Amino acid sequence: MSGKTRCVVTGLGLVCAVGSNVSECVDAIYSGKTGIKEVRAFDTEQCYTHKGAESDLTNEQLGSENYDRSSLLCIKAAEEAVDDSGLVLSEEDKSRIGVILGSCVGGAISIDKYYSDIKKNGSGDKQDIPKMTASAMAANVCTHFGLCGITANIVNACAAGTLSLSYACDLIRSGRADVFLAGGSDGFSSLAYAGFHGLHALAQDSCSPFNHSNGISLGEGSGVLIIESYEHAVKRGAKIYCEILGSGVSSDAYHITAPRPDGEGQMSAINKAVRNSGLDFSDIDYINAHGTGTAKNDEAEFLSLKTLFGNDPGLSVSSTKSMTGHCLGAAGSIEAVLTVKAIEQSCVPPTIGYSDEDIRFLSEKSGGIDFVANKAKSKNIDYAMSNSFAFGGNNASIIFSKKEHPTEDRTSTEPIYITGIGTVDTQKTDDKGFVAELKSADFKERNVKTAFFRKLDRFSQLQLLSGIDALSDSGIEVTADNENDIGMIIGTADGPLTEIVNFQKNVIEKGTQSGSAFLFPNTVYNAAGGYLSIFTGIKGYNVTVANGAQAGLQSVCYACDAIHNGDAKIMLAAGTDENTDVENELYGEPGYVLGEGSVSMILESKDSALHRNSKIYAEIAGFATARTAVKYGTLDGSEQALGKAVAEVLGCTGLNAGDIDCVYGFKNGKKSVDDIEDRLLPELLPGIRVIEATTETGDARAASAAMQLSRAAKAIADGKINNALVLSYATGGMYTAVLVKRV
Amino acid sequence: MNNEIAEKIKGMLVENLRIPEDELEYDSELFGDDIGLDSIDSIEIIAGIDELFGVDMTGADRENFQTILTLTSFVEAHKEG
Repeated sequence: MSGKTRCVVTGLGLVCAVGSNVSECVDAIYSGKTGIKEVRAFDTEQCYTHKGAESDLTNEQLGSENYDRSSLLCIKAAEEAVDDSGLVLSEEDKSRIGVILGSCVGGAISIDKYYSDIKKNGSGDKQDIPKMTASAMAANVCTHFGLCGITANIVNACAAGTLSLSYACDLIRSGRADVFLAGGSDGFSSLAYAGFHGLHALAQDSCSPFNHSNGISLGEGSGVLIIESYEHAVKRGAKIYCEILGSGVSSDAYHITAPRPDGEGQMSAINKAVRNSGLDFSDIDYINAHGTGTAKNDEAEFLSLKTLFGNDPGLSVSSTKSMTGHCLGAAGSIEAVLTVKAIEQSCVPPTIGYSDEDIRFLSEKSGGIDFVANKAKSKNIDYAMSNSFAFGGNNASIIFSKKEHPTEDRTSTEPIYITGIGTVDTQKTDDKGFVAELKSADFKERNVKTAFFRKLDRFSQLQLLSGIDALSDSGIEVTADNENDIGMIIGTADGPLTEIVNFQKNVIEKGTQSGSAFLFPNTVYNAAGGYLSIFTGIKGYNVTVANGAQAGLQSVCYACDAIHNGDAKIMLAAGTDENTDVENELYGEPGYVLGEGSVSMILESKDSALHRNSKIYAEIAGFATARTAVKYGTLDGSEQALGKAVAEVLGCTGLNAGDIDCVYGFKNGKKSVDDIEDRLLPELLPGIRVIEATTETGDARAASAAMQLSRAAKAIADGKINNALVLSYATGGMYTAVLVKRV
Repeated sequence: MNNEIAEKIKGMLVENLRIPEDELEYDSELFGDDIGLDSIDSIEIIAGIDELFGVDMTGADRENFQTILTLTSFVEAHKEG
């Protein structure tokens, strides 16, 4: 028995095209019933296909709150999961219960509605604006249940639903929470449909994974798992479905939409998951494959499985996407619920849609591996794996276990240093606030060719520049020796909103059949991290978090946890947000100055920094996050959480308020935000000097938060101060505090 | 060569595929190392040409996509009226 904190699954919730709860979905899946039907949500008349997998439930049936459909689907599944887990929230310490959600399209349906209204009526509904960003989702779920723990929206496209479970486990193992509502959600959006249509990646008829593989069937839904520490589950006498042993995350560093044909990145993630779980490949009884039904995915995944598992007759494989459709950011979470049920019920769900001839061909092709076609198969499952692979080249693999299994405790508490900083500078303009002047020469002097940078949207371009500069500042050369040990966490409030809006406006104007194949790959929030990994060759951990302005600090916290959890030796942590006419039109208000930017920082363990003889800016002495759940789009009533975050970070670093040299604050020019800082800081840290960002950068949201930390680190390195407390906030009542000090 | 058609195609490539205007000549190799168009971009070119001129390039030979000049010739040869 090792000292590693065990993470167990104690509750399940599910809604998708095959059913409105876990039991309905499982019954349908085991009977081989498909949810793929004619699309109802929007007009597909001019498209070459009309198939999709939508939930039968209307928004009104899902919930009463005025949220985007992605949030409503998630609340429906989360209600079921909480109920199933037997958690009595009123009796729990809500600050120890958080929400980690995966999503690909976020509020795309609300973006569609807003701009469609403008086209029809000349104006859009302002209430749709806060629903647009994926940042809103976890906050909405948190507020629904009144939870006060850590939230995050993991926005790595089709791997997001698995990555969210992985992150929830890592946070529990780091002691930052006891329980998470973790999973993913995506509504059925014309954005995704038109995008995959533009790429010719939709199947004409129902998708046929590992079979005819002529495209995906788009789906929607949400899966939520209650994940908690074993101790917490036992203490409250919870029913335990299974344990999550470990996971593996990697990046292809190959192509923005296509997986590496040789499966290297997928195999790296699967390998890490098996190793981190203390298992051998022969232990795995069932794999719920990514199995999208595109030729590129199925060929690469088939090759990966054949290479790693050989002809293991003990391994069964299936893709439930043949019935649920591909639910993008929810896919991993839906498949996790089905995998947990497969373990519980000792039954492998099938991949449907095979003719007798297809089955013969498949069994010849697959050798010994048991690809379960058409009919569910009874079988004891001790260990099951679920795979998710995404645009941007992100791969995630996670392993569930029926029984307790010893795993190695790889966690450390080594000091973490900031050893590199890259910043995109901005200038004030008359009409839009602060913007960066991005010129061809900026890319060429960093050896980025036209052929590469012209494909990137503004958000990705900003991130690429700061990322390259941070690596260069830290003296890191990515080589075959270190490429798998370097990872990145990109934090953002709004992601590539301009590209998303431009893509959507075009679809509204010209029809669902006219989705731009050129723009679509950039509409996923993790494209920026994907491009950065492709350009630099970074193949390790790769996650993008959308979570308001504080995401620019949360990325640093997440990166520190990733290093301490043994997921990487060196992490790039960034805060990036863009500022264009789109953001100005949506967010602009008198007296408020928007900004943009990207700040990337290199974080590494003391050991790594000393070994590389790195320049050291400062040490991350500690960090803390607290939330008082208030309505998304507001902060009122959340003051207490700021005090808590500050007290916690002081507590974990052993410092007193009087020891802090200065605060890098989070004022952004909005009264509701500035007032909280003005009122609370004099109480929390009497007489403290506060340095603000907005006058020099405008409200660049996540970029401002990361900028503040980088400025503190530079001031420490320059000998101006010994330490600093950096604060940020996210609408909905979340605050993050990072304390940096001189080494 | 019809300059008007070529200019429209150039504008479409700059706008839709974000090719820097100062790096794009009528005889620039679109799929060469510098500009580096790929299969996704050719889908976009097909859509753009269809929208601008009502000419369908689906299934057209690869040579027709090499430069603005070859695209212009194709459009001239297939444009109705």
